[in-house]
Amino acid sequence: MWIKDRHMWMVFVLPGVILLVLVLGWPAITSILYSFETEQAGDAAYTLANYKSLLKDPFFSTTFWNTTVFVFFSVALHMILGLAVAMVLNSALPAKPMFRVIALLPWVVPDVVAGIIWKWMYDPIYGALNDLLIKIGLLNNPIEWLSNPKLAMTSAILVNLWRGFPFVMLILLAGLQSIPRHLYEAAAIDGAPKLQQFIHITLPGLKKMIVVALALDIVWEVRRFGLIQAMTQGGPGVLTEVLSTYTYKQYFKFFRFEYASAISVVMTIVLLLVSLPYIWMISQEE
Amino acid sequence: MRMQAAKLQPGDILVKTLIWGFLILVCIYCLIPFAWMLSTSLKTEAEAFRMPPTWIPLKLTADSYIGIWVRKNFGIYFFNSTIISLATAVLSTFFGALAGYGFSRFFFRGRRFLIGFFLATQMLPGVLLVGPYFKILSKVGLYDTRTGLIIAFLTICLPFSTWMMKGFIDKVPDELDQSAMVDGCSRLGIFFKIVLPIVAPGMVATILFAFLLAWGDLLWALCLTSSESMITVTLGIARTVGEFRIIWPMLMAGSLVGGMPAILLYIFLQRLLVQGLTAGAVKE
Amino acid sequence: MKKIFTISVFMAVIIIVFSFNSAMAEQVTLRFSDWHLTEDVWNKSLNEGMDIFHKQYPNIKVVLEPVSYGEKETKYTVESAAGRAPDVFHVHAFSLPMFFGKGFAKDLTPFIEKEGSGFLDAWYPLPIKLMKHNGKMHAMPGDYMTMVLFYNTNMFKACGLDPDKPPKTTDEFLAYAKKLTRDTNGDGKVDQWGFGTVGAKSPGFSMRFGPFLWSFGADYLTPDMKRSALDTPEAKEAFAFFVELYTKHKVVPPGLTAMNPQEVRTQLAQKKVAMIMGSGWTPPIVNKINPDLNAFEVLQCAPAPVKRKQATAIWLSSWVMSPSTKHPNEAWQLMKFITSKDIELKWFVDNRVTSSRKDVSGVAPEILNDKFASVMASQLPYGKVEPQIKQWPEIMDTFTTSLQEAIVGMKSPEKALSEAHERINAILAR
Repeated sequence: MWIKDRHMWMVFVLPGVILLVLVLGWPAITSILYSFETEQAGDAAYTLANYKSLLKDPFFSTTFWNTTVFVFFSVALHMILGLAVAMVLNSALPAKPMFRVIALLPWVVPDVVAGIIWKWMYDPIYGALNDLLIKIGLLNNPIEWLSNPKLAMTSAILVNLWRGFPFVMLILLAGLQSIPRHLYEAAAIDGAPKLQQFIHITLPGLKKMIVVALALDIVWEVRRFGLIQAMTQGGPGVLTEVLSTYTYKQYFKFFRFEYASAISVVMTIVLLLVSLPYIWMISQEE
Repeated sequence: MRMQAAKLQPGDILVKTLIWGFLILVCIYCLIPFAWMLSTSLKTEAEAFRMPPTWIPLKLTADSYIGIWVRKNFGIYFFNSTIISLATAVLSTFFGALAGYGFSRFFFRGRRFLIGFFLATQMLPGVLLVGPYFKILSKVGLYDTRTGLIIAFLTICLPFSTWMMKGFIDKVPDELDQSAMVDGCSRLGIFFKIVLPIVAPGMVATILFAFLLAWGDLLWALCLTSSESMITVTLGIARTVGEFRIIWPMLMAGSLVGGMPAILLYIFLQRLLVQGLTAGAVKE
Repeated sequence: MKKIFTISVFMAVIIIVFSFNSAMAEQVTLRFSDWHLTEDVWNKSLNEGMDIFHKQYPNIKVVLEPVSYGEKETKYTVESAAGRAPDVFHVHAFSLPMFFGKGFAKDLTPFIEKEGSGFLDAWYPLPIKLMKHNGKMHAMPGDYMTMVLFYNTNMFKACGLDPDKPPKTTDEFLAYAKKLTRDTNGDGKVDQWGFGTVGAKSPGFSMRFGPFLWSFGADYLTPDMKRSALDTPEAKEAFAFFVELYTKHKVVPPGLTAMNPQEVRTQLAQKKVAMIMGSGWTPPIVNKINPDLNAFEVLQCAPAPVKRKQATAIWLSSWVMSPSTKHPNEAWQLMKFITSKDIELKWFVDNRVTSSRKDVSGVAPEILNDKFASVMASQLPYGKVEPQIKQWPEIMDTFTTSLQEAIVGMKSPEKALSEAHERINAILAR
């Protein structure tokens, strides 16, 4: 080829970069610039007024905390359940294809639809979940899953666990499938117990994929919107208000475009900081 | 066969029981909402609202399944969603794999920055971007087209696809590339003939992710289309939630039917990519 | 492998190229959007209306663009911001201040003037006032209804209450609700409640809460709309009354903060509650949910309960013309048509919604003889509307947040209300 090998990266990487910059460049810049404008001042002045309001906004700090709790537990549970299921699905198991499809099912329902369905299932009077639990004797009285202030966030996280773990599971399953079998065989011959095999073969082999799954899932969960919006609209009160629903409200319900932009910029900066370690790890030279 | 013990011991039986118990629990967790969806989709509208609810419909009817195709134009929605999601999936995975390979094998200046940049593009919420993006599309005449949506979804999927593919490609040892280059193979040749077949399971995950992202999106489909002929399945399903009533059986039927293509795609990809290509590829 | 990929990419590119929309043929085409197009009955009614319009104006073609109810503001906002909103679209009156503020609604004064003086006299004054921005008409009023108390006459009878004597005062209302809250099947658990209402953050909430608040003699804001009026004793009374319906008297079903109007109507249809606040749309929907209930026979409606004065909330929808429309004159013809006397009557006959036109709601025998519509029309003079300021959605959201916190017991009603009061003042002070 006429291109030197060390310049070949451009052939591979640049198409993606160009697409992203072309399509997202202008919207991203206008959005960021918007956050420095205010409705009163118009286009002329650039101020930090929106950011100052953010600091004083009592709802913002609650929302921020909720988002942290929601994302942390969602991602952690995704990783644990996803890894466990991936390992089971990677083992010698009959009817594997069927189980794999079942484990994938929650992922094929769109966010908004899942939110609507679960909201209905969670309903204290005519919800299927309470009905089922009472019928099989686990409950005596219906639980107010989404109205009880102590349960609301937990109920939301449980739905998000259902909805999102297949993503992690699929990545980790693919990762597990690429760990060479002979490593396990050699260890078994050496008499190493399963736990040892897990710690010394599986985990290191999966390390890169775990980093990828973590980073992507964190970004994805911070973006998670339709699910929560459909189930609780951020309520009761602001108990399940997260940054995505809060931004949506500001933009589409209150028409406070500039303020919504400021919230988004803050959200982006925090996400960037959180994902820096992952970016570092994934770009390590082997 | 993996995980084989020489003799079946009591500890093994316990472990096997635990694993099966866990698997059954997970299956129940995954399936209960679907059981409910299926049950509701076969009910009459009135029975869907029954308090307390019935799990087994008192009156079975396939009316909603017929209704979505006949009364609600589901055929058009399906067509649109399939084209858009498939195109997004294929293109996103292809360009993501390209970029993933580039990031994996080449250590150029600005590499770390670009890797971070890819991910950073996803940190701004769609709520903000959809407005300006809409303006751009209108100006180039791509508003209310499938193409416009495909490009929008591509830009959302691509960073994720890149990260995922890079992770998978990283596991393919560089020595394979080097020895192939010694044999006179070009980089692109290595990419297509050697690397991609090995990461086929990863490609399945990446393709499915992009497909589902495009399929399940509501905000962009809502704002970037206006004519009835451009409606996607998810948008069509959202419409069954009206101001005054939710047509539950139709919503459930639409959701179940809407989830089918992804499952079929997964099964198809498993056969085509994984079984067809990785047989023996992992053994060294 | 390479072949498969090349073919796939090739195919994807071909798909993209061929999915470009072909250009529309030249004709005066209007884009018309309404969330009602996604409802079976309304859709039929609107299509019939459009057929009549097409016959009257053969040179205009109207393209119908349905939009889902929950997403309509999102869609119209994005489209308007890009100058590509439908020519004529349907919004709630309470969205108008925001659309006006962003310049998303065209000034209709030139068209109205051409219709001659007195054109607007056919409508009630309040809807007309709400369509004005800086004194000029920027939208046309559509459906106009009041909230009234619906009740199940059979359930009244079963508890020894006279169905012809609905509760008139809030005290009576509470007494009735308590009587109607009981265990109907003897299993020791309450399965029927006296009153069902909305507690979720939904536009339907304020329409159901407003009548209580105003009837107690309180209001959300001061008359100049510059400060919150929620620190008056009457406001505290009303707020506590509403919260205690749930927390103390338990006449409202559990899970209130997740209840949308849809769930409340379902509760009425499934005989889980005996009374709800509703309006013209209630009987047909309830009937559709549970035909066995025989809604049109069994349901009755009465004015909202009174504490100190008669007041109720109004429901008003409106039609907006996009400022970027390329065919303003034709768009005006369409707007005039859908708000004309005959067509407004058609909307009532098909969909049970009363009109903002005096010469329909006050006069048409179809309305005056309808057992529901007559009550609703009688309450129109007592209808109050929420402050039409652009901060209103945020204020209502803050208020509902505090109410929810009081309902689930996170805070006492007094504390929740005073927090709402301060936050609303902060919003207005911006």
